[in-house]
Amino acid sequence: MPSLFGIAWKNIRRKRLRSILTIIGIALSTWVLVSLLGFNQGYESSLNKDIDNLGFQVLLTAKGCPYEAATLMLKGGTGLKYMPESIVDTVKANPEVEEVTPMLMHAVFDPNKGEEGGITAFLGIDPVTYPRMKTYLQFQQGKWFNQPQALEAVFGYEAAELEQREVGDSYLLPEADVEIKVVGVLKRSGTQDDGTIFLPIRTLQKVYKVNGQVTSVGIKVNKSTDIAKYEEELYKLPDVQVVSMAQVKQTISNLVATARVMVMSIALIAILIAMVGVMNTVLMSVLERWQEIGIMKSMGAMTSHIFKLIWFETILLTFVGGVVGSVMSWILATATDKLIRSVLPYSPTSALVQIDIILALKAIGIIMFIGIISGIYPAWKAARIRPIEAIRSTEGEL
Amino acid sequence: MKRIGILILLLVIYTTGIYAATGCDLNEPDRDVKRLFPGSTGFKTSYVSIQQKGGKALQTKIEQRLGDKFTGMYETMDVPYTVYEIYKDKQGIGYIHGVNQKGQYGGIQVFLALDPKGVIKTLYYQKMTNQSAKAFRSDTFTNQFKGLSMKDFAAYSPVTGKQDGALAKIKNPAPKAVQDFRATLRGIKKNLILMQEFGYTK
Repeated sequence: MPSLFGIAWKNIRRKRLRSILTIIGIALSTWVLVSLLGFNQGYESSLNKDIDNLGFQVLLTAKGCPYEAATLMLKGGTGLKYMPESIVDTVKANPEVEEVTPMLMHAVFDPNKGEEGGITAFLGIDPVTYPRMKTYLQFQQGKWFNQPQALEAVFGYEAAELEQREVGDSYLLPEADVEIKVVGVLKRSGTQDDGTIFLPIRTLQKVYKVNGQVTSVGIKVNKSTDIAKYEEELYKLPDVQVVSMAQVKQTISNLVATARVMVMSIALIAILIAMVGVMNTVLMSVLERWQEIGIMKSMGAMTSHIFKLIWFETILLTFVGGVVGSVMSWILATATDKLIRSVLPYSPTSALVQIDIILALKAIGIIMFIGIISGIYPAWKAARIRPIEAIRSTEGEL
Repeated sequence: MKRIGILILLLVIYTTGIYAATGCDLNEPDRDVKRLFPGSTGFKTSYVSIQQKGGKALQTKIEQRLGDKFTGMYETMDVPYTVYEIYKDKQGIGYIHGVNQKGQYGGIQVFLALDPKGVIKTLYYQKMTNQSAKAFRSDTFTNQFKGLSMKDFAAYSPVTGKQDGALAKIKNPAPKAVQDFRATLRGIKKNLILMQEFGYTK
């Protein structure tokens, strides 16, 4: 004797076209659902990754103009303020600090730039800690410096293009007339690093006689640290200015929260569409098979048998649709990512839609739950059929 | 407003911009045009690239005329060249055009102010990194290029550095900087060829 499950599967296969169309409808809803949940998951982690890529959450500079770049622009490089390098150790002593990197911005007047001369700026960095903080920086050619005091330079892409420098070329430091070797050219990053010429901090200090001085300190704090509170701590240090990424992070959190509400609303609509679609299909199938169900009952089928049969059909349809939709969303993840990226005013650099097996299983679970709920009414309707009346009529009525 | 400001800051810091090669612009066009063309009343700026004007075939033609291959990461087809068309009232009185040329210690920006026929009025190094940059940028050296045009550079080979005709009279102002002297001549020749191939001069 065939099982109820077997009969349900047979019924689905009997009306092949309708079943396929229903499965497509469910699959499309699942695709939307998985993609939206994947976006919800990916968007937040991608934005956080972008913030982490900024390298440091807090920038410490000498009191005055908080941004070195702004100082360079406003004062032609003459207003740079320095801090003693010992501040690095003071900052590092705090257990909440994960990593610290000292930086020295040095601007030089180059008389052979433009008609009346211009400013060329160099950024002295620590070859050990700086690359660890700026992990997004990738090389077009070469690599970071070999030695902390090497007469070597790494050029941001645009700086390299302006100076027509490639790895192995020489470069002359203006004013000091010291020749250095280009050991690396960075890929474009879309950040201010593209226009920067990096030198080992010791080299820059020695060449331009600013020993023991830094202009800024990049600080990366532990993930659990309350940045606002930590900033207050930093202000206890004498003559420093704190530039924080906390506000940017707050804005991002707000953006994520807004996006989450938007995504969940759309997901809910997708769920409702799937629910109505499934209910409609199964109900139509019940109405068409009104007489057949009547005969089954007259032959001894119990009310519970009919209820289970119709319910199984619904669950089977939603399961197959859910699996197809999940696979579809996984295959189309890149296309969906591009589509979302094209409509968003700002999108982070890494994957916007992140779909994994857990997410797909969750979505299949949600869709099957929808099937269970949507199947109750048609199954209940079918179970209540009276055999004599059903056999007399050709089709059922709602 | 504050939120928008922060968002803009974020976009500025982390925008994934349009990545293309960068060309050679005048640092201060209003002031530089007045200086290079004292009688001018206005100018029009156009951006042209080899890719746009003829692609690989045009690049090959330019390389043949130059007598040297395009080399390095930055001498590519997609470099946008900025051409300044200079006007006195409604009449075109010349052009300013610059190229980036690889020098020994840095990029050399070789700008030419040309009359409508392509004759050099002024050679202007907008940027040069070299201990002898002062000698190269001096009027004594740059004035020697006044009145020269493409026909004077036609026979010049950047590979051998052999100078003929009017060009033979021009001496390197800094004997230690042979590489930058040759780079200058290559940059000027390339500049003149591009202006012809882009259809500005004959």
